[in-house]
Order: sequence, then structure tokens, then C-alpha cells
Amino acid sequence: MMRSEIDVLTPKTIDEALRLRRQHENAKIIAGGSDLIVQLRDGVVRTNQLLDISSLKELRFIREDQDRIQIGSLTTYNEIINSPIIRKRAWILAESARQIGAAQLQNTATIGGNLGNASPAADTIPPLYALDTTIITRSVAGRREIPIDQFYLGYRKIALLSDELIEQLYFKPLRPDDAGAYLKLGLRGANAISLVDVAVALRERNVNSFSTARVALGAVAPTVKRSLKCEKILQARPLDREIFREAGSVAAQDATPIDDIRASAEYRRNIVSSLVYQALCIAVFRE
Amino acid sequence: MRVEHIINFRLNGKYVTVKCPPAYTLLEVLREQLQVTGPKEDCAKGECGACTVIMNGRPVCSCLVIISQANGSEIITSEGLTDDGKPNPVQKAFIDHGAVQCGHCIPGMIVSASALLMRNPKPTSEEIRMALSGNLCRCTGYTKIIAAVEDAAKNWGL
Repeated sequence: MMRSEIDVLTPKTIDEALRLRRQHENAKIIAGGSDLIVQLRDGVVRTNQLLDISSLKELRFIREDQDRIQIGSLTTYNEIINSPIIRKRAWILAESARQIGAAQLQNTATIGGNLGNASPAADTIPPLYALDTTIITRSVAGRREIPIDQFYLGYRKIALLSDELIEQLYFKPLRPDDAGAYLKLGLRGANAISLVDVAVALRERNVNSFSTARVALGAVAPTVKRSLKCEKILQARPLDREIFREAGSVAAQDATPIDDIRASAEYRRNIVSSLVYQALCIAVFRE
Repeated sequence: MRVEHIINFRLNGKYVTVKCPPAYTLLEVLREQLQVTGPKEDCAKGECGACTVIMNGRPVCSCLVIISQANGSEIITSEGLTDDGKPNPVQKAFIDHGAVQCGHCIPGMIVSASALLMRNPKPTSEEIRMALSGNLCRCTGYTKIIAAVEDAAKNWGL
């Protein structure tokens, strides 16, 4: 398929987009386009039709409502980075968005695109796992709420149905006394795909411990994944460097990375251990 | 079968209408159909910044925008930054500093730097580096480039 033969559908409202999505189930959805346009050029994705949802302003929002932060799927990284709500109450997400690509990409790429493209190295997904995010999908038939753990089914496989769009996501904000950090190792400071990235969120602080911990690892398995072993070690345990070291080495056991052009599996496993340790120190001791 | 759409947008202050395949990139249409060759194609995947243009006030990679998405937008390339043929402060500072080696990355650098100064006329050195972090110079002429932008900021808006 030549790119000159690809038609582009351009709905103006969400309702029109959902109708077109149902009528043209083989059309590929394009939002910011930063992954899809490259995939089309490289011939990795072939289609004769694109459904361009990028102009749907209804899906571009960040709201704080009671004890919930809601983000529309077409919100750009730039909007996330500059949102006072996200910076204050979901800073691990702002931190990941800030490290994606560079200014040009942050102005077009969207959080829904990152979720839907489902790369194991997608940088916003680990913080969204750590924040215990729920994804809301929508079709003409209505909405479904899917916990992020259940949204990713395998390598680049997601629970989105062929007539659905990702509408928005939501999570419970971090409180000021919660702890969280996001760390990424790439080959350079900007425009780098993660070799490994890590997000941690610790909530419900007691005197010297947290009751809940979520730790998510990127680029070390077919999907982003939580390290349940690591989370268990952190729950209700004293906030102590020795425990954080142990948490790091246990997280490395949960990683199942591959060798590829960017790094070896062995190197990635070692990096998981260091990044989890460092992320916990930053989250808890702010250093 | 070839598909074509009619696309309208403002390019460097002038309204333009093009008829072209809607999935072509903005960069392809600018260079090949409109002969606006300031933006360059290097990596074609959003990693080098050579194709940077300002779209609706913000720098974007024109290789990662399909032309259909540019419909109704306002696009500025390096050609459109001049004022009556006179270089803008960023362009002038690049000349004064000799901040150019092979020159290939320079239109993208100038567009990114100008986009920064349009939003933030008094950037810190760190903000300049961040704003240019998506633009690669394979001659590695970054020192003079950063110095030129710092200098341009002093003359911005004068």
C-alpha cells in the first residue's frame, strides 16, 4: 500500500468518530501520529484508511474531580508537563512526560496514543501502573472501565475492541505525604527510547512505613509490568536503604528483558535493580 | 488508487491551498509540492529536529504530521521568520556568531529557538538547552549555537 493511496477520515465530534470507528473497523486510529506515521513509512503497519481523531477537543482535558484525576486521551505530553494538577498531585507522570522525546514531540504526541501504541518501552505507562490507573474506552454502545493491569494482554496487544476508542483515564491523586518517583535510563537526555524505566508510588504513610506500594517496570518484558515481589517487600516495612536495596534486587528477578540493539538482557536486569533502589531513595528521602 | 484531499492552511502568513494525498507528511508537501525547503528530512522519525516548523504557535516535527492534520492550521518555517526580508534576531545572531558549520540542521535550530523566544523571551541557559534538545547537529557545533540563541534573546522584541 502506497501512502498516496491512504484515505483519512476526519470526524469533528466524538460521536461522529465513534460512528466512523464502527463503520470502518480496519481503519487505523491516528492521534499525535508520532509512532504511526513512522510505522506507515516503514511498512510495519499497512492500511488504506486512517481515522484521524486529533482534532477532537472533547478528549483534551485534565480535571481534578473529588478524589480523582481524569485525563482525556488526546492530552499532549506538553499539556501534562505544564499542568499544575499533574505536577502537584501526579508528579511521577509529569516526570515521565518531560523525558519523552523533546519539545517537538511533546507538542503533538498524546497520552492515549502512548497507551494504544502499547510499546513495552512506552514511558507514560509505568507511572500510570504505579498510580493504579483505570482506562475508559468508549464505543457507540457505551463506555467500559478497564484497570490498566487488564488493559495490556501481551506484546502490543490491548483490550480495546475494534469499535472502541480510548476516551480517558483516571486515577487517585498522590497526597502530599505519599511518595513517588520516576526514573528512566536512555542513551541520551532527549529523544531516547528507554533501556529501562521505573515508576514507584507509595501511599498511606504510617510513622516510618507505607501501607501500599506499587512498582512498575518498563522495557523489560513484553508489556510494562508491576513487580509484585518488590511491592510486597515494601509494604509496611521501615523506610530503610537496606530494604530498598533488597527491593531493587527482587524487582530485577521479576524482569524478563531481551537482548536488543539498545542493551543486553543482563545489563537491563542490573539497571532495574539500581533504578528501583534510586527511585525509592528519591521518592522517600527526596535525594 | 491515489486519494487526494484539498487542504487549506496559512504558510508563513499567506493562505495556501494544496491538493494532495491526505496521509502525506506536512514535510513532504512543504518541500515537494510547495518548494519550501527550509525544513529538511534527515531521520524521518522525529529524532533529529531538522524538519521543525511552528504549527499553531508550537514547534513540531513536520515529518510527524500528516498534511490532513495541518488543515486550517498556521505554519511557520524558517523562511517565514524574516521580517520584510530582514533576518530575525535569532537568524542574525547565528550569522554574527558563525554558529553554522555544514548548515543542514540550522533551519530547524532557528525555528526551535524562535519558537522558544516567542513564548519565553527571557529564557535561562538551561531552558535554551531544553528547547533545542530535540535538534541534532552532526557537526556538533552546539557551543556557538547556544551562544547565538543567548545573544538573540537579548535582542528579541527590540
